[in-house]
Amino acid sequence: MTQINPEEFIVTDFAVREHRSLWGDAWRRLISSNTARLGMFVVILFISSATLSHFFWEYEPKKDLDYSLKLKAPNLTVTEEIPSIHPFGTDKLGRDIFRRVVHGGWNSLRVGIVAVGISLIFGGVIGLLTGFYETITMTTVERITLFGISGFLLGSLSAWIANQPLQLVGFTLLGLVAGYFEGFWAGQLKRVVFFSVLGILISAVPALFAGSSVALVCGVLGLLTGIFLALALDGRFFSNVMMRIMDMILSFPGYLLAIAIVAFLGPGLGKGMIAIGVVGIPVYARLTRSAVLSVVNKEYILAAQSVGESHGRIIFRHITPNILSPIIVQTTMGLANAILSAAALGFLGLGAIPPEPEWGAMLGDSYRYLTSGAWWAVLFPGLAIMLSVLGFNLLGDGLRDALDPKLRT
Amino acid sequence: MTRYIIRRIISVIPTLIGVTFVIFMFQRLIPGDPAIAMLGEHATEDSINRIREQFGLNRPLFLDREALATGDLSGFFDSQYVNYMERLSHLDLGESIHRRIPVLETLKLRFPATVELSLLSMIIAILIGIPVGIISASRRNSLIDSVSMVGSLIGVSMPIFWLGLMEIMLLAVILKWLPAGGRLSTGFEINGITHLYLVDSLLNGDLAGFKDALSHIIMPAVALATIPMGIIARMTRSSMLDVLQEDYIRTARAKGLGGRLVLFRHALKNAALPVVTIIGLQAGTLLAGAVLTETIFSWPGIGRWVYDAILGRDYPIVQGGTLLIALIFVAVNLIVDILYALLDPRIRYK
Repeated sequence: MTQINPEEFIVTDFAVREHRSLWGDAWRRLISSNTARLGMFVVILFISSATLSHFFWEYEPKKDLDYSLKLKAPNLTVTEEIPSIHPFGTDKLGRDIFRRVVHGGWNSLRVGIVAVGISLIFGGVIGLLTGFYETITMTTVERITLFGISGFLLGSLSAWIANQPLQLVGFTLLGLVAGYFEGFWAGQLKRVVFFSVLGILISAVPALFAGSSVALVCGVLGLLTGIFLALALDGRFFSNVMMRIMDMILSFPGYLLAIAIVAFLGPGLGKGMIAIGVVGIPVYARLTRSAVLSVVNKEYILAAQSVGESHGRIIFRHITPNILSPIIVQTTMGLANAILSAAALGFLGLGAIPPEPEWGAMLGDSYRYLTSGAWWAVLFPGLAIMLSVLGFNLLGDGLRDALDPKLRT
Repeated sequence: MTRYIIRRIISVIPTLIGVTFVIFMFQRLIPGDPAIAMLGEHATEDSINRIREQFGLNRPLFLDREALATGDLSGFFDSQYVNYMERLSHLDLGESIHRRIPVLETLKLRFPATVELSLLSMIIAILIGIPVGIISASRRNSLIDSVSMVGSLIGVSMPIFWLGLMEIMLLAVILKWLPAGGRLSTGFEINGITHLYLVDSLLNGDLAGFKDALSHIIMPAVALATIPMGIIARMTRSSMLDVLQEDYIRTARAKGLGGRLVLFRHALKNAALPVVTIIGLQAGTLLAGAVLTETIFSWPGIGRWVYDAILGRDYPIVQGGTLLIALIFVAVNLIVDILYALLDPRIRYK
C-alpha cells in the first residue's frame, strides 16, 4: 500500500489570475495602444504647458507691444537686427508668437473645458432623469413634486396675464392635490371634469378683478391646465417633452447657433463658453438617456429597488457608474469639438477680446498679412489648434476602444 | 410608408416654431435698445420713437396683458412675435440696416454661390471618404488602414479656416497656381438658369469660364470638404467592419464568391445606411462651415455675407441668414429620415 502524499494533489491553479478591476483593465488596454498614448501625450503636453505658463510665466497682453519687431520671421539665434529669440516669429504688433501661443492655450482649453462642463452637467442630469423615470414608476413624493412644478409653470402664464400672483399659489396647490390623489376617480371622465372646474375657478375668479375678457382668457387657460393635471402625467410623458426640446436644439446646425448667439450677445470668452456649452447639451442628454435605458432594466437595479434603496441612491450608486464609459468617451471627443468651435468663434472676432491671446483670435488677427508673406503668424496658432484637437480625438478613440472592447472595430 | 412620411413631416412643425422662436429671440439678445442699435448712439428721441413705431418695437414681445385688461382681445395678440411670424409668412425678412435692401433679395442672389460650394464639397467628401473607408475596412489593421484612419482623424480635427489659409499661402501666394479668392476672375461672366457657375458654364459650352470657375472654387471646396471627408471615411469603415462580421458574409464567401463581389454587393449595400445618415448630418456642418470658408476665400455666398453683417452689426441679415441655414438643415434631415425609411423598412414600424 503506497502512502498518499497530499502535497502531490495540490494543483497550481492556473485559472486564477491576480485581481484586476474594470478600470485597471481599461487603463492597461489604453496604454497598450500607440495612438492613445500619443493622444494622451499631446493632451498632457497642452494642458500642462497652458497651466504652468498661466501661473509661472508672467505675461501682460496689454503691455506687449514693440513696433520695431513687427512681423519678424522665426529666428533661433540672436542677431544685430533682432536682439531676442522668437522661435515662432512675431506678429503685427511685434509680439512674440511663441509666447502668445503658449499663453493662448490657457484661454482656448478653458473655453473647451467650461463649455463641455456646461453641456455635460445639464445634459447628463436631463439624460439621467428622463431615462430613469421613463422606465421606473415615480414614488408619491416625486409625483407630487412633478405635479406641483407643472401646476406652477402652467399657472404662471395665466397669473401673468391677470397680474394675479394668487393664481400661482392656487395652481401649485391644484398640482400638488392632483399629484397626491392620483387614484381619485382615476381614468374616469369625472376626474377630468372635477379638476378642470377647479382650474377654471382658480384662474377666472381672481381674474374677474382685472376685467371680463381677462377672466375669459384665464378661464380657458385654467380649463386646459385642469385637464392636463387631471390626466396622469407620468415619467414617460415628462421624458418625451424633454427629448422633444432637445431635438429642437439639435435641429440647429451646431456652431452656427453658437456663432449666432455670440453675434447677438457681443464678443467675449464667457459668452462663447456658454453658447458652445448650450449647443452641446442635447448631445449629452440623448447619450446619457440611451445609456440609462440600456441598464435600467438590469437585475441589479431590480435588486436595489427590492431592498428599498431610494431612487436618488439607485441613480448615483448603481446607474451612474455603469454608464460612465460612453460619457467619458463623448466628453473627450466633445472637448475636441468645443476647442474647434471656440477657435472658430475667436477667428470670427467673437471670442476673446484683443489683446488677450487666444488661438482662433490670433489667426483672425494676422491672416491678412499672409499675402505679404508672414506665414509664421498663421501657421503656429493654427497648428496649436489642430494638434490639441487631434490629441483629444486620439485619446477619445483610444478610450472608446479601451472602455468598451465590444465596440472595438 | 405614407403614414410614416406624414408623421415625420408633422413632427417638423414644432421644430420650425422653435427655430423661428430662437431666431426671433436673437433680437432681444442685443444689449440695449434695438431702435438705438439701428439708428446709432446719437439718435434723437423723436426718431427713436418713430423707428419703434415703424418696426412695432413699442409692442410687447409675446402677449399684451394691458390691452386685454381694457377688453381689447385682438390687441392682446398684437405682439412683436406674432408680427414677426406674420411677416415671415409673407417671406418678409426685413431690410438690411445699412443698405436698406430687403434681406430676401440678397439671400436669393447669394444663395447659389453657397449651394455650389457646399455641393462640390459634399461630392469631394463622398468620393474620397467612402472609398477610403472601404479600403480601410477590407484591409483592417494593415499599414494602409492605420495611415488612412490617422489621416481621417486629422481631417476631423482640422480647423478649416486655418487649412484654407494654408492653401492660400501655398497654392496662391507661393506657387501662384490658383487665385486666392472670389468666384470668378474679372472679365468673366457666366449666365444661366441654375446660377451654379460650374454647371452653367458647361451648359453654355464655355470651357474657359468653367476652368476659371473651377480654379476659384477648388480651394474653398477642399477646405470645406475636409471634416465631412474624415467623418464619412470613419463611419464607412466602422459600418463595413460591422457588416463584414455578419453570417451572410461568411456564407457568401463560403459559396466561393469573389472578394470584391462580396465587398460591394453584399457588404457595402448593407453598410450604406449609417453612412447615408451621417452624410445627411454633415449638411449642417457644411452650411455652418461655409461662414468660415467663405470669409477666408471672399466667396460671395451667404456665409461671407453673414460674417460681414456680424462685423457691421446688421442684425436683420444675421437673422435672415441663420434662419435660411437652419431651415435647410431641418429640410435635409427630414429628407434623410424619409430616405432612410425607404431604404430600411424596419424604421417605419418603430
